[in-house]
Amino acid sequence: MASRPIVLPGELLASNPKVAGSGTYVENGKVYAKFLGLLDKTDTSVRVIPLKGRYIPSVGDVVIGVVREVTANGWTVDINSPYQGFLPVTENPEMRPNKKPNDVLDIDDIIIAKVLNIDPKMKVALTMKDRMCRAVRFGRIIGINPARVPRVIGKKGSMIKLFKAELGVQVVVGKNGLIWVSGDRRKVNIVEESIYIIESEAHTDGLTDRITEFVKRRKGELNEQRGN
Amino acid sequence: MKLNDDIILDIRRDYVLGKLRDGERIDGRAFNDYREIKIETGVIDKAEGSALVSIGNTQVVVGIKMHPGEPFPDTPDKGIIITNAELVPLASPTFEPGPPDENSVELARVVDRGIRESEAVDLSKLVIEEGEKVWLVFIDIHALDDDGNLMDASSLAAISALLTTTVPAERFEIGEDFPLPVRDLPVSVTTQIIGSYAVVDPCKDEEYASKNFITITTDSDDNIVAMQKSGSYLMSEKMLMDVLDTSIRKAKESRKLLKEV
Amino acid sequence: MSKEEIKLIIDGKRLDGRGFEDLRPIKMKVGVLKRADGSCYLEMGKNKVVAAVYGPREVHPRHLADPIQAVIRYRYNMAPFSVEERKRPGPDRRSVEISKVSREAIETVVMKELFPRSGIDIFVEVLQADAGSRTACLNAASVALVDAGVPMKGMISSIAVAKVDDVLVLDPMKEEDNYGQADIPFAFFMRNDKIESIALLQMDGRVSRDEFVQALEMAKKGAMKIYEMQKEAIKTKYIIESEEEVNEIE
Repeated sequence: MASRPIVLPGELLASNPKVAGSGTYVENGKVYAKFLGLLDKTDTSVRVIPLKGRYIPSVGDVVIGVVREVTANGWTVDINSPYQGFLPVTENPEMRPNKKPNDVLDIDDIIIAKVLNIDPKMKVALTMKDRMCRAVRFGRIIGINPARVPRVIGKKGSMIKLFKAELGVQVVVGKNGLIWVSGDRRKVNIVEESIYIIESEAHTDGLTDRITEFVKRRKGELNEQRGN
Repeated sequence: MKLNDDIILDIRRDYVLGKLRDGERIDGRAFNDYREIKIETGVIDKAEGSALVSIGNTQVVVGIKMHPGEPFPDTPDKGIIITNAELVPLASPTFEPGPPDENSVELARVVDRGIRESEAVDLSKLVIEEGEKVWLVFIDIHALDDDGNLMDASSLAAISALLTTTVPAERFEIGEDFPLPVRDLPVSVTTQIIGSYAVVDPCKDEEYASKNFITITTDSDDNIVAMQKSGSYLMSEKMLMDVLDTSIRKAKESRKLLKEV
Repeated sequence: MSKEEIKLIIDGKRLDGRGFEDLRPIKMKVGVLKRADGSCYLEMGKNKVVAAVYGPREVHPRHLADPIQAVIRYRYNMAPFSVEERKRPGPDRRSVEISKVSREAIETVVMKELFPRSGIDIFVEVLQADAGSRTACLNAASVALVDAGVPMKGMISSIAVAKVDDVLVLDPMKEEDNYGQADIPFAFFMRNDKIESIALLQMDGRVSRDEFVQALEMAKKGAMKIYEMQKEAIKTKYIIESEEEVNEIE
């Protein structure tokens, strides 16, 4: 088990600019940490994994958002970021020539979308032309610190696989810290509780095992209740 | 226009309602339960009195400052209480810098009403020279973290601060310092009205689900000293009476905490 | 206003017993607020301040947004009960000036260019004031920014030096600030355990050039100590999280 030290902005991480990875900046040939995070150092790269921070979109990210405005050209979507997303009508497969935009998606509708493009002014274009994209009309949205999203997904998606296998729920994790969960209400409750535990108890040993045990236990309690 | 809205709270509105339909609250509390309340007094030693109150994650600090001043012409034999609330931007992503808005003003005035109408502070004992000089008591509410129900946190902090206030007579060379005479313990209880459901001590998610609430303040004899229905909604008589009876009961519980201050 | 005849240095010691280069006791706690993205509660002597950071987030009104970088807002505000004589709520000219120079110090280290068309807000409330509240606020703000995960070149550490009874003293308390001959608040850009450069500087009173150089040296030593405390406070909060984090991440 590698212990990753906490680093703060301005800490010197390396003297070789070639190894500078994400979460670092280079000045005068030296590599420094850019924000609070965990140092991940290998022979070939030095990067800082963020512990906190707002979601800043990247092309290809799966995000969950809320429609805020409807225009003739598309929809303005709040993606829990300092930057709003825009979904052009051409990027929504539900759109048909005889339909008006607000027939397809209206204000306060929730969607799962992908970041298609980001221009230099940080104008974010979204698309729903992907299998996992859809309008969300049921289920629950859970919000967490975006920096924790990788932890919720787990190594190679292990956490999500666990939820699906044990509880039969559908889960889509948005990179922007919003997670959609759908299924039997009480099972969704178990997923929600698990997610909050993952988000806050990062220091516990073998978190995957703990969550697995937690999920199984709560599922068992549920079955008992139903049995009575 | 949604200014600096918290998207997560926005989305969870339906979840809050869904839970209420099942007879549950999202944080597992009973409809009439408060979150954990903590009261700490004397936190600002330079002030004449002070208190930091937390209800769950909501935090408010109240400071009491006093100095002599002129009485109002129609009450020459009474001290004066002035209550102000600052919902500073530090406390919430939705608070903007600037002069108090209508929510800030409402909060201050409701807290003030509870203290004034219960006659918690014996203003007649705050006269220095009748008709000329009386003590002015400034109750300044400073929100630090808004996770719902700033109202009750503020009123608890206000009365706790007053209970531990020392009148600074020596600083103004008007005799010896003495404890501020507090003779009642007004307690406010805020209930959020979400559709047809009434929940006591709303957390932030619940406040987002509905802007409608009612605050009822009672004194130590369980008399009602202040009421404020806030929000555009119609309330049935039955609901009002239920909320009233619950509020009187819950206020008694909170009052026990004040007795330990 | 006539200067009172008050002795501030008695038998080579300051009124509160400190040595000339001693800081007042400092206490810091990170992540004290739930709603804010980052926060810090800080005590420096009798100063009690709390700083909160929100952002990067959308700028309102939109026309104030900058297309190439984030707009930083810093609001220094004193609670009415923070001072001996109650202060009317709201910004006064002194608060406006302090907010400006503090914001400018923060701007030197925050990587604004990474967040065009957005805003980063820093709000600091002084709950109790006792000389040097602006330096206490900047120290708290710097920690809150780190806690919020805002990308920065390094940190800001701030301390003031005063001249009292012809002697230079570090971190003046109230009487030294009120009756001293000069007051010089500093803030430094700190990186990798080194003082890189000066981010904030103000001065009022009268000092000779040599006295100023001496004051600068004194301030640097004080800032270094504060920087250590800032780092310690942050690491204390987060150190527990470091161990298991990364095994679960790709």
